[in-house]
Amino acid sequence: MAMAAPNILVVEDDRETRALIAKYLSANGCNVMTATDGQAMVRAMTDHQVDLLILDVMLPGEDGLSLCRKVRAESQTPIIMLTARGEDVDRILGLEMGADDYLAKPFNPRELLARINAVLRRQSAALTASAAHGATALTFLGWRIDFRLRELRNPAGARVAMTGAEFDLLRTFCERPGRVLSRESLLDFTQGRNAGSFERSIDVLVSRIRRKIETDPQDATMIKTVRSGGYIFTPTVEAVAPAKNT
Amino acid sequence: MTMKLSGFLNLRRISGQMAALVVTSVVALHLIVTAAFLIHRPDQIDPLVDHGHSQLAATIQLIGTAPAAERPRLLADIARAFPQFGIESLPPGQASAHGPGIHPGLGSLRRRLGPGYRTFWLGAEADSYKVGIVLPDGMMVSARFIPDQRQRSLWTTPWMTTLLFAVISVSLLGLWAARALTAPLSSFAKAAESFSLNGAAAPLPERGPEEIRSVARALNRMRERITNLIDDRTKMLAAISHDLRTPITRMRLRSEFIEDEAHRQHMLGDLDQMRSMLESVLSFLRNDRKLESMTLVDIASALQLITDQFTDMGHKIVYDGPEHFMATVRPDDLHRGITNLVENAVRFGAETTIRLGVGADHLTIEVEDDGPGISDERKNVMLEPFVRGDDARNMDEAKGFGLGLSIARSIVLAHGGELSLKDRQPHGLIVRVQLPVRELRLQSAA
Repeated sequence: MAMAAPNILVVEDDRETRALIAKYLSANGCNVMTATDGQAMVRAMTDHQVDLLILDVMLPGEDGLSLCRKVRAESQTPIIMLTARGEDVDRILGLEMGADDYLAKPFNPRELLARINAVLRRQSAALTASAAHGATALTFLGWRIDFRLRELRNPAGARVAMTGAEFDLLRTFCERPGRVLSRESLLDFTQGRNAGSFERSIDVLVSRIRRKIETDPQDATMIKTVRSGGYIFTPTVEAVAPAKNT
Repeated sequence: MTMKLSGFLNLRRISGQMAALVVTSVVALHLIVTAAFLIHRPDQIDPLVDHGHSQLAATIQLIGTAPAAERPRLLADIARAFPQFGIESLPPGQASAHGPGIHPGLGSLRRRLGPGYRTFWLGAEADSYKVGIVLPDGMMVSARFIPDQRQRSLWTTPWMTTLLFAVISVSLLGLWAARALTAPLSSFAKAAESFSLNGAAAPLPERGPEEIRSVARALNRMRERITNLIDDRTKMLAAISHDLRTPITRMRLRSEFIEDEAHRQHMLGDLDQMRSMLESVLSFLRNDRKLESMTLVDIASALQLITDQFTDMGHKIVYDGPEHFMATVRPDDLHRGITNLVENAVRFGAETTIRLGVGADHLTIEVEDDGPGISDERKNVMLEPFVRGDDARNMDEAKGFGLGLSIARSIVLAHGGELSLKDRQPHGLIVRVQLPVRELRLQSAA
């Protein structure tokens, strides 16, 4: 990756876990700083340039969720939350507090690394991307994709199940409508999630998304194949004001 | 002794209430019988309804005992004194003409006259009858006679029907009161039978006699203790499962520094197994308490997603059903439940089918495998938590705690549906999930 070594701040109260994350990320080309609690985190963030924050939910004193909200109020620093459990409450709260992604413990360290890369890439891409930047949800042809809840709803309002990789790919399309996207660039944007053993090619993911959203998957009108080797997302995309889902 | 007696007399105790019931019933019945006796008085002739029979009898006896010479004068005196009897002598021969006519009204008169007198019927007048009487010496007189009118049946008088009604009412009331006293006991049996660990049942009402109330209190306290005990165990299990995540997280991180790739892969496999066991325990514990909210979901595409995920892991699995079908469910719970079923299916069979069927008011999801299946007697046991289908195998090969099926089942039950195990022909198992369809569904063509 052409990116310079990112500065990552790990906020985790368990000494062993903290040291191991730091060791692992350092071994994989990151500059790692650590903090045990919120106060240490604030000190580290004022003293240093932090590109990404890894924040444990369970912290002594002020917990990870409220720290996340505080950081978000002041800066756009990407945040990946480490939750004690993969429960929905934590997931939604974490993302509503402004976290960019989350991982449930015990997590796969390689997946953590992949998500760090994906979040950083998305961050740098979003800074130059379309009007969709900053929106938490987009609509196209009655469909609604919500980044905070990580869910897709069809025009009838029904939730449509997607894997993480499918969601990230559709998100990438929605954020760049009307542009031809090569397979390589799509892979680059989406490999953050499902990284690891069961990675599928972009073509498989596209055909699966088509089956979910296209009226006739054989004759796709939304995600069209471009002959020169890529895809284009044709619908008009609009940002929607955040609203509670029922 | 006094203690015992006061306990017996205490109306708040069941013995006291029983005694009160018996005493009240006996007293009430006694009063009714006494009243019946006093009203009817079969041993006394009521002078008011005598119609002068006694007087008539005495007058006849007076004539009968007088010497024959005095009789004409006596008859004249009597006719003057008691004109209402109309007593006059009859010429002999009348008796044989009329015979000793038997009339039910004459019985009491004959009884009063005593032996030696005979009576016979002479015929009716305006409001009375004429009766002939043969005196002991053969002389005959005739008299006006008002017959005994109390011919009505004992049970048809209004008083007696009232009393009969009262007896029946008191008996029924007694039965009802006895039932009311013992009814709480049968409700205890029902409550004990239906006691379940989810704590949904209401506590027993603490009312009725003292003994019943104390039993209800004791049962309620026992239930509270059992619930607390189970809660404590659940919390402990959850805490252990929770705390184990920290060392597992560390080990996962440490395994990244293991040089030997084969060694590392083994360790990752073990850690994955530990993690999935913890997840299943936690989701099993969570299922009892917390429910995800219902939302409209494209179930067909959710099932296709599961199919895709298992295909990606290298399993042979197909989806058979409509392309889209919408229903209101708890999406993450249902995903977890069906994933559990498919995990079992791919473990025991070579080929798995997920089938979605749509009915008028329900939908059917079937997960079918071609494995060995489950015998009928094991089917019920398999739905219990911590029961593994492969009980012959040891922990090294078993993948979990045997919670998958029971988690799936409780998720289905929380949807108001049902989960059943069916045999597949020629071999294999079909897990059938039936869910009620709650809201209007929109089906778009594929």
